[in-house]
Amino acid sequence: MASSHGNSTHSESAKTEQIITEFFAKSLHIILECRSPFMSSRNFSGEQALSSPSSSSSSSSSVRPRDKWFNLALGECPAALENLDLWRQSNFEPVVVDVILVKRGLSRTQSLKESGNAYSSDHEEVFSGSEEKIIERWIVQYDTRKPREKGSTSRRTSSNVLHTLYKKSILLLRSLYATVRLLPAYKIFRDLNCSGKLRPFTLTHRLLSFVEPFTRKEESEMQRFSFTPVDTSSGRLCLSVLYHSSVSDASSESSTPMSPQFIPDYVGSPLADPLKRFTSLPVSSPSSLPFSRRHSWSYDRYRASPPAYFSPSPTHSEPPAANALRFGPVNLPPQHPDSSSVHKTNYSYDEYYPSPNFTPSPSPSPPVYMHGNHLSNAALLRTESAPVCIPKLNLHPSLPMNDNSRPSRGSKLDTSTDLIRFALALIWDCFSCLCVVVKDDSKKHYGTKISTVNSSQFSISRSSSRSFLDDFDDSDFPCHFDVEDDDPMYHGSRPESFDKRSHIGDQMDPQAGGTFPIKKSQDAAVGALVHMLKKAPPLRQELSTSTVDSTHVSSIRAEHPPDTSSSVLVASKTTADALEELQGFKLMKDCLLSQGGGTCNVAAGIWK
Amino acid sequence: MNCEVCQLKELEVEHFEIREVLRCILHTIVFHRALGLVRPKVIDLELFDITYVQCGDGELEKKIDEKIEQFISWVEKHPNKKSQVCISFYEVKNKHPSWFTNKTERLYWEQWYINLNVSQQQKVHSGKSHPSKIVVDPGGNSLEERSARRAALETSLREVLFQIIKFVNEKKDHVPPISDGVVYFPYEVTIPRWILSLIHEI
Repeated sequence: MASSHGNSTHSESAKTEQIITEFFAKSLHIILECRSPFMSSRNFSGEQALSSPSSSSSSSSSVRPRDKWFNLALGECPAALENLDLWRQSNFEPVVVDVILVKRGLSRTQSLKESGNAYSSDHEEVFSGSEEKIIERWIVQYDTRKPREKGSTSRRTSSNVLHTLYKKSILLLRSLYATVRLLPAYKIFRDLNCSGKLRPFTLTHRLLSFVEPFTRKEESEMQRFSFTPVDTSSGRLCLSVLYHSSVSDASSESSTPMSPQFIPDYVGSPLADPLKRFTSLPVSSPSSLPFSRRHSWSYDRYRASPPAYFSPSPTHSEPPAANALRFGPVNLPPQHPDSSSVHKTNYSYDEYYPSPNFTPSPSPSPPVYMHGNHLSNAALLRTESAPVCIPKLNLHPSLPMNDNSRPSRGSKLDTSTDLIRFALALIWDCFSCLCVVVKDDSKKHYGTKISTVNSSQFSISRSSSRSFLDDFDDSDFPCHFDVEDDDPMYHGSRPESFDKRSHIGDQMDPQAGGTFPIKKSQDAAVGALVHMLKKAPPLRQELSTSTVDSTHVSSIRAEHPPDTSSSVLVASKTTADALEELQGFKLMKDCLLSQGGGTCNVAAGIWK
Repeated sequence: MNCEVCQLKELEVEHFEIREVLRCILHTIVFHRALGLVRPKVIDLELFDITYVQCGDGELEKKIDEKIEQFISWVEKHPNKKSQVCISFYEVKNKHPSWFTNKTERLYWEQWYINLNVSQQQKVHSGKSHPSKIVVDPGGNSLEERSARRAALETSLREVLFQIIKFVNEKKDHVPPISDGVVYFPYEVTIPRWILSLIHEI
């Protein structure tokens, strides 16, 4: 009898011990699973038999899957608890969980330290320069100081005792499960765990077997919530929490979205205003576009179009002249000595052509530009919607003829068409770089001319060109497109010549002058264009060089006076020159648009 | 065995908030009384920054939602009244069958009273109610007031949840023993109309 009673008692104590041990594990599991963000955990619902260090290994209780203890299936066990059993010496030691709010510092290092009495989770991160604050302290302990209730065990069977203990433990853990999600720290955890945003803070924790007392001030800032202890035959299970009631301040700080977000209309994207984008992208070699966003499609531009079609359609409010003149890069590339005379006459444009790598011709300047500024800028302005592929170019591009036939920007152009359009717009902008200061009158002229073009196609590029122009309005580098009012010759001639351009598509007047080469191979045109594009500098970065280049070009141009008048090509371009160039570009565009092969006579020259 | 009664703090809710508030409170109570094996399911309220726990049982969810809908229907018929939802836990005692009755007896061991004061300030109202019944507080529709009211309700709801937790912690002895294989203690959700009538008379 006594032995059986003794066995029963022993069994009861063993089971009690087991319940207590599992209570520790389960409570810590509940706490850490919503206080330890990004924890790695394994499914701990396995069949690991509990082996409390202080209990007999031959526990008579049935082996339960650990997750089912207290009828609360939590699933994965936090990694921090995987070695809890090894760490804890006995159930008589409390387990203190400090939940620490760490405000990020400069760098973070992970530390795994294990001292005699303290076990730091491997998730503990020390942030250099960071600020740590304990926002919660959970204390789970088995208090054996409570005197055993006298006579209670005698009146109650051990099974009842155990059953009651287990039931009350269940109730306590249920309330713990709910409480842990009602405290302020849960919001921070949820924020960190669920949100993809980068936060300036994080949560960490540490497990201790002793209580580091708070300072009086710290404790005064915290509130306590104590769960009703669960009595056992030899003590009672106690669980309490000290928490800061106002930790949401940390979570309300601004955060940087860390989750990758697809920005559909980032600067430079095809989805954004393509022409506007081109404004900032000098049409030059890919490597020489410091501020450009290199896209895979951007290279298509170089195949896309001759300068004539680079010009994005001037947009709405923009003076078309400005846009026309802002065609191409600011700084002119060095002269190519083997340029034809026609090239040389309007070297400014020659230089803007892409490097010859796109063309077999050594001459960088395509015929389109040979009449340089005299080309119809309107043609250039409409490049936004003009898909041009340089390989096809031969100056008989697939560019849709302007105006009405050309699909509007909002039309259903395919990708290649869009790319070509972008390229054209880009080139247009690059050429626009040449003209930093454009007089209003010249702009007006261009405005008149441009108006004949499908305005819808100008809209985007116009604004972009304008913005680009604005950047250079006060530039301090000479631009050979600069309009000089004091040049009477061209003031008088330009409007006249401009007026001759009744509409885009006019064949370039051969009489316009030998400013530009009459004939040019298609490849040479393309190559020149590409060369020009490559040489085109970025908006401001190459301003310093633009001065030299423009001067150089100016001087070169001066050396190769046009047939009609050497005075046409002067160091600084006038409005008339710009108009002529516009006309030239228009013609170039027309040639490109035409489906026929062969060369295109693009004697832009100066139309008088 | 005595019947423990817990009167929860009264909450002033708007019509559209009833569902969430009742779900939160009822599931929290049931979760603390479902002592069988459960896989808890954490739910974040939409209207409030509160997270509560369900038992993860679809059937239970459905039953509670049905009760909530019944309550909402009742509220619509009796607007602007203080209302209650009562959830009671009982044990089934087989009464000795007699020629009077062979019913089983329900021995209630716990009752929770959820006190709600449903205001009708919302613009959108169920079609069943009379439009004239909608009281539009002149200042109640301002954004600030609504957000202040919402914040106050959230605080009160959190207090109610803590009230439940404390009650569950403090009173454990009256809870019947757990039966193997049984997850939930038998319960019922009622709307004590008689209280409403009493209040109406006041």
